[in-house]
Amino acid sequence: MPDSKRFLHPEAIKRIARLDLRARHIVEGFLSGSHRSPYFGQSIEFLQHREYVTGDDMRHIDWKVWAKQNRYYVKQYEEDTNLRCTLLVDVSGSMRYGSGPLNKYEYASTIAVSLAYLLLRQQDAVGCVPFDDAVRTTVPLRSKRNHLDSIIAALDVSQPKQKTDIYRILRHVAESYPRRGMVLLVSDLLVDRTGLIKGLQLLRRQGHDVMVFHVMDDDELDFPFKGPTRFEGLEIPEHLSCNPRALREGYLAAVGAFLEEVRRGCARNTVDYALVRTSESLDAVLASYLNRRLGMHHRN
Amino acid sequence: MLTFANNPLLLYGLPLIGVPVLIHLINLLRHRRVQWAAMEFLLASQKKNSSWIRFKELLLLLLRMLAVAAVVLIVAQPRLWDELGRFFGGGKTQHIVLLDDSFSMADRWGDTSAFQEARQVVERLGQALADEPLDQTFTLLRFSRAGRGQDGSPPDLLQAQVNTDFGQRLKDVLRPMRPSQLASGPAPALEAIEQLLGEAKDEDRVVYVVSDFRANEWNDSEELPKILGRLDQSRVHLRLINCVDTAHPNLGIVDLQPAGGTQAAGVPLYFDVTVKNFGSNEAEGVSVLLQEDGQPRPALAIEKLAPGESETRRFAAFFPTAGEHVVAASLGTDTLATDNVRFTLVDLPVSAPVLLIDGAADSLNARYLAAALSPGGAVKTGLDPQIEPTSYLNQNQSLDKFAAIFLLDVDRLDPAAVKTLEEYVAGGGGLGFFMGDRCRAPFYNDKLYREGQGLFPLPLIAKTQLLVDRLERGADFEFTDHPIFKVFEGERNSYLSAVTIDWYFSSPKNWAPPADSSTKVIARLRNGAPLAVERKFGDGRVTAILTTAAPQWNNWSRNPSFVVAALELESYLAMRPALDANRAVGAPIELELDPAHYQPQVRLIAPADRRTDEPRGATDQAPALEGGTLAVTATSKEGETNLRASFPAAAKSGVYELQLTKTDNQPVIRHLAFNVQAAEGDLTTVGAAALAERLKGVRYEYAQANDFQWAAHEMAGSNLSEWILYLLVGLMLGEQALAYSASYHPGKEAVR
Repeated sequence: MPDSKRFLHPEAIKRIARLDLRARHIVEGFLSGSHRSPYFGQSIEFLQHREYVTGDDMRHIDWKVWAKQNRYYVKQYEEDTNLRCTLLVDVSGSMRYGSGPLNKYEYASTIAVSLAYLLLRQQDAVGCVPFDDAVRTTVPLRSKRNHLDSIIAALDVSQPKQKTDIYRILRHVAESYPRRGMVLLVSDLLVDRTGLIKGLQLLRRQGHDVMVFHVMDDDELDFPFKGPTRFEGLEIPEHLSCNPRALREGYLAAVGAFLEEVRRGCARNTVDYALVRTSESLDAVLASYLNRRLGMHHRN
Repeated sequence: MLTFANNPLLLYGLPLIGVPVLIHLINLLRHRRVQWAAMEFLLASQKKNSSWIRFKELLLLLLRMLAVAAVVLIVAQPRLWDELGRFFGGGKTQHIVLLDDSFSMADRWGDTSAFQEARQVVERLGQALADEPLDQTFTLLRFSRAGRGQDGSPPDLLQAQVNTDFGQRLKDVLRPMRPSQLASGPAPALEAIEQLLGEAKDEDRVVYVVSDFRANEWNDSEELPKILGRLDQSRVHLRLINCVDTAHPNLGIVDLQPAGGTQAAGVPLYFDVTVKNFGSNEAEGVSVLLQEDGQPRPALAIEKLAPGESETRRFAAFFPTAGEHVVAASLGTDTLATDNVRFTLVDLPVSAPVLLIDGAADSLNARYLAAALSPGGAVKTGLDPQIEPTSYLNQNQSLDKFAAIFLLDVDRLDPAAVKTLEEYVAGGGGLGFFMGDRCRAPFYNDKLYREGQGLFPLPLIAKTQLLVDRLERGADFEFTDHPIFKVFEGERNSYLSAVTIDWYFSSPKNWAPPADSSTKVIARLRNGAPLAVERKFGDGRVTAILTTAAPQWNNWSRNPSFVVAALELESYLAMRPALDANRAVGAPIELELDPAHYQPQVRLIAPADRRTDEPRGATDQAPALEGGTLAVTATSKEGETNLRASFPAAAKSGVYELQLTKTDNQPVIRHLAFNVQAAEGDLTTVGAAALAERLKGVRYEYAQANDFQWAAHEMAGSNLSEWILYLLVGLMLGEQALAYSASYHPGKEAVR
């Protein structure tokens, strides 16, 4: 598989293509009114008729059908949204850890590219912002099919650096994309939590729909090491020689606290949060997530 | 004091304590390197737990080092020798070796013998103890010494301090030792040791019984389990070491003695020799070699001898001269040579004087009897009848010189005479009665019978006529199975049927010999009345013939059978217990001398080493009687002064020579024959299982000599190994618990 295509796992793409990705919030006013249908917006392509129920917009009533059958039907169209999705992908040094076939970086990139492909197929605009200590590059929002190549190229980072100020990066994104849209953050979130939450808050305040894919390796979550081990920091110069089993309990407690803090921070700001293990099947993760997302949409 | 049985192991082993540290250092070098992203949490955990983890890890390292040290110590076998050691059950150690040197230990097989095996076991033990720098004493006691009692037979080694050159010293003590000819069992030795050990002190006591564990010693003794039980209870460690692997076949001469008859010079003398097969297989073609005064005689042959059976053969010996003569019987060499030879000694007079007391002036009865006992002419019976009146018994002279005394037709005796006769018979003499017209029942009943207390075997009534039975054509008397009448057994002897008894002295009709007495009717008349009655009195015998010796009341003395019966009667009465012939090896030699006749000087010559089974040049170093001169001590008894010579014991079988000197400087030589105890020749071993059965409840260790490899450290001091083992188990448990607590154990989840 060519290097540029390594994030396009065909099986994952194929599975996701059968689902419709719907944005939870319709960005930039596709729908109007308080009773707008969350699923069926204005579009060119007619989808189906449905019997009128109270609350439906009267504009959508098909009067020709009324004339023939003396019943109220509304016309439903395939939605043709203008979703703007910015993929915020962490390519820092800490993402290079991996115990399975994919390290976190590869996994995160795969998620990002898969989503980009999916969105591009729907003519949604997709942008990409890989970052480590700073924003590496900014791929602008486009909805062309060949835009995917630009995203893939942007994600290909050979010399990762350590993360520093996540807030600065998120603020940069907020400033760079003033129009409301969707922001997908794919990261291991090994950053300053305060800055992270603050940054997410900022994005939300700007009206962005924010989703966080928290990518963690199994080793990081379970800490299954034994035997004398020297842990060397991927992002920090410190190292630690220890009996990992002795530290496991404390480590897991710290990780638990970390996850909880992140989860709470996300929930507080109505940011969708998903913890993703790199061992989990990639397509399954996307599918289950998108289903969940759809479900949440239905509830609206 | 703490010592180590395996010092070198301790030296080599102690550095091993550093192994856990070494492993730790190696592990540091072998650290797996992991590029880790989530260092933040790891460092947090480390910061939170580091002191506690470090403490636990140090403790774990310490525990592992201690565990290694414990293993090294267990292998090194530490022993504690002070107050603390006594707390653990140790301290000074007494080793007591009881060495069986009874003659069954001479059992030979291959190129070794039971005693040789035993000696090697003791040597090995001594060497093992000498290699231990511990506070130990060693006592060596041979069974034969313990068997001699307390008369100056100290143990070969008594609580000798064990030092580095003890092994050589013990070898020097053991080298000259040979099996004795005694049949000493373990009981006396164990009893002696029990006395020696006394109450339990602050010391370990180990008793080693190095023996062949013969069945006849262990199976029958009720005493042995008790003694061993007592020793066990007083915390004595018992170690029984068997020196023979299996019972070997053995033949032994178990008996050799005169068969009776007149013992006099020039008269054929019969001996009975008994050979026993102690083995488990049939013995064939056994040849018994005989010697008379050292001169070989034709051997006796026993074709077959079944296992466990004994066979007695009679042979005649002929000594033309008076004096002491030795008869020896021996067998060919087998595994045990000691019991293959036996001696007996006879002291033959020129002729045996027989005293005939006749109450009648004409001594008619006595003359008939004398004629029968000593027919004269060419026929030599070895008897010298001496006819005396009853007054002869009043002359207060010793009757001991007479082989037998006959009272014939005696009407009465003075009380002194009766007393003299009683003393004579009680001392082993033989007394015969013949009746006559002068005999009166009251005297016999009151003075001689005395309700069974006196000499005479039965009460009398009166002279009675035996009525002629015209219809009955049988003999007038019939005899029982008795040595006197043995020659008449069989139908060819028709002489007795021609004997006619007319008169006899009757006894009460309802009289019968008391069941619990030695009185026996040995011949009866055809009407059932007793004719010949015998009894034992003291060591002697009394036989009463209730008719005359002369042909007054019968025609017996005219019948040839009378001569035979009279000679047999005399032989029977004269058969004194052959005391000298039955002396056993190990019995003390004591003799009393009349100071009027003997000078107080006795010289004892031990038998020459005639046996060929022992290696030449080897001598028995037991303090046995090898010969020597002994001053005789004078003892005073009831106003009489007697000389008593007492030698400790005879150590060898054979004929000992006593050289006495009379007051007129005439040398007198007397002999004593000593034989081994035949039962010791039974080489059957008791076996471990039977021994365990016998010694139920007694704690002991049993081992074959070959397997005896106990090292001294197993025996001396208090061995701490066991305690350290418990400590080690504790350490290991602690280590595991701590390792688990310090998360060195994998949990249920998968680990990498």
